[in-house]
Amino acid sequence: MTKTRNEIRFLLNGEDVALSQVAPDETLLDYLRLRRSLRGSKEGCAEGDCGACTVLVGRLTDGKLVYESVNACIRFVGSLDGCHVVTIEHLRGEAGKLHPVQQAMVDFHGSQCGFCTPGFVMSLYGLWMKEPKPADAAIEKALQGNLCRCTGYEAIMRAARAISSYGKVAKDPLAVERAAVTEKLTVLRDGSRVEIGAEKHRLIVPADVDDFASILESEQKPTIVAGSTDVGLWVTKHMRDISPVVFIGHLDGLRTISEKDGLVSIGAGVTYTEAFETLSKRIPALGPLIDRIGGEQVRNMGTIGGNIANGSPIGDTPPPFIALGATLTLRKGKARRTIPLEEFFIAYGKQDRQPGEFVEAVHVPVPAKDSYFAAYKITKRRDEDITAALGAFLLTLARDGTVASIRIAYGGMAATPKRARAVEAALTGKPWTEAAVEAAMTKYAEDFTPLTDMRATAEYRMLAARNLLMRFFAESQGGKAPIQVSRHRVA
Amino acid sequence: MSSEIAFPSPQHRRHGSSAGQPLTRRDGVLKVTGRATYAADNHPEGMLYAVTAVSSIARGRVTALDVEAAKAHPGVVEVLTPANRPPLSHDPDDKIPPFGFRVEVLQDDTVRYVNQPIALVIAETLEAATEGAALLNPQYEVESARTGLENGERFDTPAVGVGAPSRTAYGDIDAGLAAAVRVTEADYVTPPQYHNAMEPHAVVAQWDGDRVTLDMPNQALALSCAAYAAYFGIPAGNVLIRSPFLGGGFGSKAILNGPQILAILAARMLDRPVKLALTRAQMYGPVGHRGQTWQKLRLGTDGEGRLTALHHHVLAATSSFDEFMEPAANASLPLYASPAILAEHDGLRLDTGTPGPMRAPGEASGSAVLEVAMDEAAIACGMDPLEFRLANYAETEPGTGKPFSSKSLRECYAEGAKRFGWSGRPLEPRRMRDENGFLVGWGMGTAVFHCPHFPAEARATLRADGTALVETAGADMGQGAWTALAQIAAEALGLDPDQVELHSGISSLPDGGIAGGSGHTASAGLALHNAGVDAIARLAELATADPASPLFGAGNIGVEARSGRLHRRDDEGRSESYSEILARAGQAEVVGTAKAARDPAVAEAHALFSHGAVFAEVKVDPDLGQVRVTRLVGAFAAGRIINPRLVRSQYFGGMIWGISFALQEEAVTDRRTGRIMNADLAEYHVPVNADVPSLDAILIPEDDPYVNPLGVKGVGEIGITGTVGAIANAVWHATGVRVRHFPIRLEDLLVNQRDVTSAFGN
Ligand SMILES: Cc1cc2nc3c(=O)[nH]c(=O)nc-3n(C[C@@H](O)[C@@H](O)[C@H](O)COP(=O)(O)OP(=O)(O)OC[C@H]3O[C@@H](n4cnc5c(N)ncnc54)[C@H](O)[C@@H]3O)c2cc1C
Ligand code: FES
Ligand code: FES
Repeated sequence: MTKTRNEIRFLLNGEDVALSQVAPDETLLDYLRLRRSLRGSKEGCAEGDCGACTVLVGRLTDGKLVYESVNACIRFVGSLDGCHVVTIEHLRGEAGKLHPVQQAMVDFHGSQCGFCTPGFVMSLYGLWMKEPKPADAAIEKALQGNLCRCTGYEAIMRAARAISSYGKVAKDPLAVERAAVTEKLTVLRDGSRVEIGAEKHRLIVPADVDDFASILESEQKPTIVAGSTDVGLWVTKHMRDISPVVFIGHLDGLRTISEKDGLVSIGAGVTYTEAFETLSKRIPALGPLIDRIGGEQVRNMGTIGGNIANGSPIGDTPPPFIALGATLTLRKGKARRTIPLEEFFIAYGKQDRQPGEFVEAVHVPVPAKDSYFAAYKITKRRDEDITAALGAFLLTLARDGTVASIRIAYGGMAATPKRARAVEAALTGKPWTEAAVEAAMTKYAEDFTPLTDMRATAEYRMLAARNLLMRFFAESQGGKAPIQVSRHRVA
Repeated sequence: MSSEIAFPSPQHRRHGSSAGQPLTRRDGVLKVTGRATYAADNHPEGMLYAVTAVSSIARGRVTALDVEAAKAHPGVVEVLTPANRPPLSHDPDDKIPPFGFRVEVLQDDTVRYVNQPIALVIAETLEAATEGAALLNPQYEVESARTGLENGERFDTPAVGVGAPSRTAYGDIDAGLAAAVRVTEADYVTPPQYHNAMEPHAVVAQWDGDRVTLDMPNQALALSCAAYAAYFGIPAGNVLIRSPFLGGGFGSKAILNGPQILAILAARMLDRPVKLALTRAQMYGPVGHRGQTWQKLRLGTDGEGRLTALHHHVLAATSSFDEFMEPAANASLPLYASPAILAEHDGLRLDTGTPGPMRAPGEASGSAVLEVAMDEAAIACGMDPLEFRLANYAETEPGTGKPFSSKSLRECYAEGAKRFGWSGRPLEPRRMRDENGFLVGWGMGTAVFHCPHFPAEARATLRADGTALVETAGADMGQGAWTALAQIAAEALGLDPDQVELHSGISSLPDGGIAGGSGHTASAGLALHNAGVDAIARLAELATADPASPLFGAGNIGVEARSGRLHRRDDEGRSESYSEILARAGQAEVVGTAKAARDPAVAEAHALFSHGAVFAEVKVDPDLGQVRVTRLVGAFAAGRIINPRLVRSQYFGGMIWGISFALQEEAVTDRRTGRIMNADLAEYHVPVNADVPSLDAILIPEDDPYVNPLGVKGVGEIGITGTVGAIANAVWHATGVRVRHFPIRLEDLLVNQRDVTSAFGN
């Protein structure tokens, strides 16, 4: 029998918190600003776009305490059980001085109006703890999710490079207190289920995956929340009722990444950040793609499972995974079924998921040595932008230079992530030449009739989609063609 | 209260000792620790939360609101609608000069734009107020929305911007065009843009009898006090605005808006403090924006590439009920020499919120288009764009012939071009590629911005311990006023900036004028300077009249203030410290006061402008049309520079706004409904860090003896001008595609370039 608790327990800065009154959709930012009078964290958008609300959340991963930046505005309090929340108010340096991150920001003039500053400080703090001497590319990655309208970016970059000259990570309070906090968090994870609220205001934090499975079977229309980077907006932007909420981001049983027989299996609770290392190592083309999903805070919260389950036609992971031939395991109670990922997406807003069923894991085959894989994301803005179109390609050539197989999948081109089957067919068995590619480019119209929206026109999408195939061809011939004009040399 | 707005800042590091030095910001420590309090961070005892319910239609009437449902929601205290809104003492449809706008404060049930407040819900908690507002479930009588050229209502307007003439003609434009060897003519469009300061508009209002205290971000304290006083029927002195920090303003926090007035009204009605903070989405409507423009440029040139005529015609959008038209054509008045210049504007009424001043109002959208047109004309003449601009260099103000108080634009061109490496640029487009095959292009533009000066007052108190307190009700929205103003005061007082405490950001202090128009440092700075001079003069009087002072009798010869001491002008050795003088006089302090305004004779005799030149490099993906700005070099001359560090960051900020204007920012309106489809920060793009290339801002030294006694011009807005055109021109140079529609989009460069419908026929 699972034990049940009726309160959320976590650490906030230096304090133990136990809350029995929590709305299922109460955000961490509201909790901090409204309930706790901790108003150093700012609200600039309440949609995860600006980073003014950035705080750190520390949690145990395989027993190790890891602090990551998150957007407090779309993080639900109910998801914090067993975590350590660190806000700007908690920063301090040695002997009453400013924290190194803060002193660097002062000295390098990193704030103008200052409204974005606490968020930048927290993002840089998170980075500095992981990488005390970060390269520019690492700084940029850490700051992708922070907007500054006064545009003090240059000064902030300079501050970021200098942080370590102001102090050592080892002397940082969070480093000094690491063992003590780890112990506290370990104790907080007592294996209980948490249930709070009644009627239309309920939240449940399952004890483990089995508990989660049984909750799903008994609850009417529960909202599963993993990283809340989609669901958070349902609440803050669309004011949707999401009760009863079932939080799953903490479930160790869903946070596993394993590799067997050339298949990388990613549990539904694995975040982009956590998946990055394995995926970028095993399937290098996925590294730069993951790096351009949201900002660092979103990647620290958002899960690949959520990206798939959400079913958006512009989610960034389904197209490359479909091209790679990924499969999806769905579970209901104790029963599991595994389907090709592309079959999960039935129509716009409609996925192959039964009531009581949940996404347990996605299995991604590592491309064979002799095959060639690439994925390209087209956006208007360099970072932190939703995809206009995304193309992914997996090519295997026969010994005679003809196409043994090719899988092509796109996002942003149809109501679901979708394969370009006519194009694939036109190429399969043909010699892999520019002429063949050009001929196949005419087949796109059979596969897609994209829409015009704010991000791009239908014509643009069609042309860009086709050009991506040609780019893929050029790259496969050894031509280098980075998809992004970057300030930094693409490695 | 003063503790909130004083910056003793023991942590700040010194890099020098007076004006002209790159002191780090005084407010930096408060900002990096999260202790700087912005309006929404205030929570007085007993406070209620207000949330506006906003219209989802652009035009029509609200026919029903379910007030009962909202009121029945637990925690909801009151719902304000046109039916029960308490009266105001000033008609909200009547503008309060000089910068007043009509405001929507539930005066009736008409809807004039999407996101207009249609009710205000006040509750014990934010959650309850938000829920209450959602329960109102408004019903509408919808009229078709006027959203563009095809259905907007055109009108003639005598004025644009804030009281600028809508038509200015120098010379005979037709004759100039007739005399031209070549006429370059094209139509252009700039989109609606929203300020999107990171801090949403907020107010916390607390009444005490007929006095009200307002915590709110505010760029124009004294003017706002007077306007609120008018609306609430109380003396201006009864309005106290506290605005120690603004989370960005860019013009949108200089003007009163409906939601804030309603919140203040609710606080009075309920006799409890009320807080209102707009959501990001709600900022797309009632708090101003940069209005859309349609522009036509006709440039006549002679055989040598000199302008014979410059005709800039602008159709500028405004709301259906008020006027603020981008004075975009006026950007063509002060810059290039031409025997005939005609700048004219018409208005277009659309069902939107009223536009307002947004960082470089008029200059930004006018310069963007002018600089592209100049590029097109240069190409038509077969000339290098820089050479073409030099051929049309204005030695005196075009049209008026007035001398410039100072103009170092030639130096800006030269230094900027050198740093950028402009020479050797191929005239033809599509001639440069980088190692990855991306198309590379170079473009340039001229930057120019006028130098307004607002009347301001200040007080300077020299204290017995040799330090000073200086006070003026200015606003620091990020530009670094706290630091630069203290530097100016310190210089006048002969003190080190560390010895000068500055109080500002609260309306009870002497009127610091407006933080806008890039005129704040000059305006409030001059007042502080004069107050400092006044304090020193009073101190000198004490000393020179005192037989015990080494300065006794120096009255006519005069004394000089330096390092906390007065020195006899004719004898360095004879000096006395401020403390000694005050101690002997038995005074705790000496107070200097000053008012400062521009000498009208100076303005009459001179043309007053800052100048600059911007050079841009872009790279374009030939297959996908993605554009990245890879280098941006600006060289600016803006009179005397008080703090180079602050100034450089203002230039950078402006230049990045230029990137944004050229490539990103655009509110996309649903033509059918008038709704803005990207009313958030996810789809309304402003640059992220990675969009910003390596930037270079060169400070060209400039000595201006006329603009004001400090020699200071403005720097906050000029960076946008020039930059937009430079980038657009670089895109042409990279691709050969001339995009006349901002922002430049992916598809413009690859497929179906959007047509620009002429607003003026041919
Ligand atoms: C600022 C910002 C930028 C973004 N940028 C991008 C981007 O560039 N590219 C991109 O693809 N996405 C982007 N997103 C969205 C992306 O973060 C999400 O799609 C994310 O991957 C969803 O994961 P999550 O864990 O946060 O899901 P949640 O929000 O927790 O859930 C998403 C949906 O999946 C369901 N769900 C979650 N887990 C399961 C499960 N195990 N079984 C069944 N259903 C489940 C939920 O019920 C919900 O319907 C962005 C989001 C934000 C806020
Ligand atoms: S408030 Fe903007 S990301 Fe949270
Ligand atoms: S300093 Fe103003 S938004 Fe960054």
